[in-house]
Amino acid sequence: MQATSPVDPRVLDAMLPYFVSRYGNPHSRTHLYGWESDEAVEAARAQVANLINASPKEIVFTSGATECNNVSVKGVMHFYKEKKKHVITTQTEHKCVLDSCRHLQQEGFDVTYLPVKSDGLIDLNELRSSIRTDTGLVSVMAVNNEIGVIQPMEEIGQICKEFNIPFHTDAAQALGKIPIDVNKWNVSLMSLSGHKVYGPKGVGALYMRRRPRIRVEPQMNGGGQERGIRSGTVPTPLVVGMGAACELAMKEMEYDEKRVTELKDRLLNGIRAKLDGVVVNGSTESRYAGNLNLSFAYVEGESLLMGLKEVAVSSGSACTSASLEPSYVLRALGVDEDMAHTSIRNEPAL
Amino acid sequence: MLTSKSLQFGAHAIKGLSRVSNFSKLVAPATITPRKPYVQGGELFSTTATSSADGENEEEKRISVTFVDKDGEETQIKVPIGMSMLEAAHQNDIELEGACEGSLACSTCHVIVMDVEHYNKLEDPTDEENDMLDLAFGLTETSRLGCQVIAKPELDGLRLALPAATRNFAVDGYKPKPH
Repeated sequence: MQATSPVDPRVLDAMLPYFVSRYGNPHSRTHLYGWESDEAVEAARAQVANLINASPKEIVFTSGATECNNVSVKGVMHFYKEKKKHVITTQTEHKCVLDSCRHLQQEGFDVTYLPVKSDGLIDLNELRSSIRTDTGLVSVMAVNNEIGVIQPMEEIGQICKEFNIPFHTDAAQALGKIPIDVNKWNVSLMSLSGHKVYGPKGVGALYMRRRPRIRVEPQMNGGGQERGIRSGTVPTPLVVGMGAACELAMKEMEYDEKRVTELKDRLLNGIRAKLDGVVVNGSTESRYAGNLNLSFAYVEGESLLMGLKEVAVSSGSACTSASLEPSYVLRALGVDEDMAHTSIRNEPAL
Repeated sequence: MLTSKSLQFGAHAIKGLSRVSNFSKLVAPATITPRKPYVQGGELFSTTATSSADGENEEEKRISVTFVDKDGEETQIKVPIGMSMLEAAHQNDIELEGACEGSLACSTCHVIVMDVEHYNKLEDPTDEENDMLDLAFGLTETSRLGCQVIAKPELDGLRLALPAATRNFAVDGYKPKPH
């Protein structure tokens, strides 16, 4: 499940009371409605934190991973703008990270977009050599949403620790699918999304490290909710849904991984048995099984999609599906333009 | 009704005690350090009397601190060793709000340390102080809470900038008086 996922019925069960009967504002301090809502929000916070091995105090709820990425990239650089002028990211990041970086470039910051190798992974030596004394942030997504490759997070974390640079990762596609440990990865900021883990749309969470403390300039100013980072009433039912989804993901991750790998193998072997000229885009070792991006030689992708009536697949990612250009991620991999036009992203899922 | 009246009386009595300058002779400033970070000053023992009898001893044990407000106006004061910046500001009528009176429960005494060297001489903020600082308006890399910055000899010449506003919204320019 890459573009989105259905809400798990158990998650929906957990959310419904907070829509109709326990509808209090969690920031109301003086009555039971507020207290019970606040309790539910804090419980959800702990559930999200457990999945990534963080403390609940380090989780800030937002409206989604896009908002988290905006706050991380622009917020960190604006806060430290006196001394830090440089950002390092990759060419295969999600559009919200790339757009935020471009926006920073308009404001006068320097951004290095690291190229990726043909298997979709970044070259660690290139990362090391592009670090400057005024580098304020390194942002690398954990699992790519188009090709499913998993970047070498621990190694990148070590490099950032060595140079004492905050490390941000967009883990929206990684949450609940691969084991995440914020301490092993040494991340300072992590963006998480609710609707990629069988939770509701419209909610996400931002992990912000407390030791050493990372500071951001808030994008949403207001009454100081969520540690002053994200003002605005926290949407209790959505947050409860995300928490429940994270708890389920923690319990079922291992089984899910086995099942998805089985499904992917069946799909890939089945296709390859009947067709030649099928290319898997991205590393075959370091990838998440639930995202299979294939290119079919000599066939045009969009027409193939139109012909596949019973299967929901996409060419590229949902956020790029409106544009006519072939995917920039595949271009970064060095895939031929012809082959890029033929690529299809399959998502074996449960 | 009676209990609330006696509580009010008790509060008055304690306030009265702190203003008595007799206490300054009983407890010398040097014995106050080290102090617990969570209790503001220990008002009962503080050398609150600015017109204290033994003036010569006091001079050596004070450091000079300059507060720069948002319009650039500077006020230089003398702060005895061991006193927090918040307390010193209140005594000298500098406009630094201290809504929770130094109990690490708000961000209104937020000050910005203007020299990086002085900032580095301060102890690292605790997690609790950092949590409150996160809420402060106009946060910078060298921000601290005024109630947690305790005067010590190395900080002589400290310059503290007051932020433009605090989290207590008062766009009409209202300034709450210290309680």
